Amino acid sequence: MSKTPHDYYARKPGDHHDHHDHSHAHDHDHDHDDHQQPNPANEHDNGPPGDYEIMSRAMQELLEQKGVITAAQVAKRMELFDEEFPYHGAQVVARAWVDAAFKQRLLADGRAACAEMGAMLEAERLIAVENTPDTHNVIVCTLCSCYPRALLGMPPTWYKSRNYRSRVVFEPRAVLKEFGTELPDSVAVRVHDSNADMRYLVVPMRPQGTEGWSEEKLAGLLSRDMLVGVTVPRVSA
Amino acid sequence: MKTIPSDIGGEPAGAVDTVDHGMKHWERQANAFRSVVQMAKITCTDELRRAAEDLGDRYKNMHYFEITTNAMRTVLLEKGLFTEQELAAKMADIRARFNVPDEMESPLKKAARK
Repeated sequence: MSKTPHDYYARKPGDHHDHHDHSHAHDHDHDHDDHQQPNPANEHDNGPPGDYEIMSRAMQELLEQKGVITAAQVAKRMELFDEEFPYHGAQVVARAWVDAAFKQRLLADGRAACAEMGAMLEAERLIAVENTPDTHNVIVCTLCSCYPRALLGMPPTWYKSRNYRSRVVFEPRAVLKEFGTELPDSVAVRVHDSNADMRYLVVPMRPQGTEGWSEEKLAGLLSRDMLVGVTVPRVSA
Repeated sequence: MKTIPSDIGGEPAGAVDTVDHGMKHWERQANAFRSVVQMAKITCTDELRRAAEDLGDRYKNMHYFEITTNAMRTVLLEKGLFTEQELAAKMADIRARFNVPDEMESPLKKAARK
């Protein structure tokens, strides 16, 4: 296992293992030493650690010392950021496309329907909103970054940005255009503002030309951005 | 009437950068740490947002994860999980471990925080 030149999270020898806690649920076998390795895809942050980076790390270590949390729990969450993204959401929507009864259950109680498929939502409620020929839906959290993480993984940078949060509620068509999505004037746009207890999921319209596709193939058509509502699925002719 | 700094829905703003830049490594740590603290029922999303909103005018000039990290600090101090002195000592310890200059003590940064 190679250490990166800027592995600021390297601990003093022995420190890491002292805090190990194997009480958390294991769904697969792996080597815990890997947890502390930065994700190569995110290795654009070289340079000395900043004030807040040190503050965050210090708070974690203090809570570890006091026995409130463990390093392994945090490492496990970091690992899940990659594993969860973003397939649950695509699977749920693809199921809704092929199974009308499931779609009804999803629209009636999103949380329960997702649980059927093994996706446990973190918020109290999940509201699935369906795009139709007359209505397009898009989601935002104007106050912070509430987002259906269990379905879509971690929110993208733009979802947390001031520009998106400020503007999508009053000029959604202009914002959608910046994502390359142009909607006819005849289509109403509904913007849904999420909060800590209530998350949204957009169910896009199933594109023409996907008749007879398997659920798996349909899921492959769906991206995170479509399930947030800033783009729509298309099938190239 | 606007009363809290996070209530930015409806404000004019620039074009959306539609590229997902992901999270820096420390941001992943901060995010995972927050998840674990919430799962331990020490705090919740609403409480952290209230602490973020307490930043007032500082809110708009801070990056997302600076806001959330500051909010976490506020809440954990309020709940007595550690003291300011303990946090300062631990931060000094980590700086020393990585041999990083103490930016918090920089005269420029001090002036900027005023």
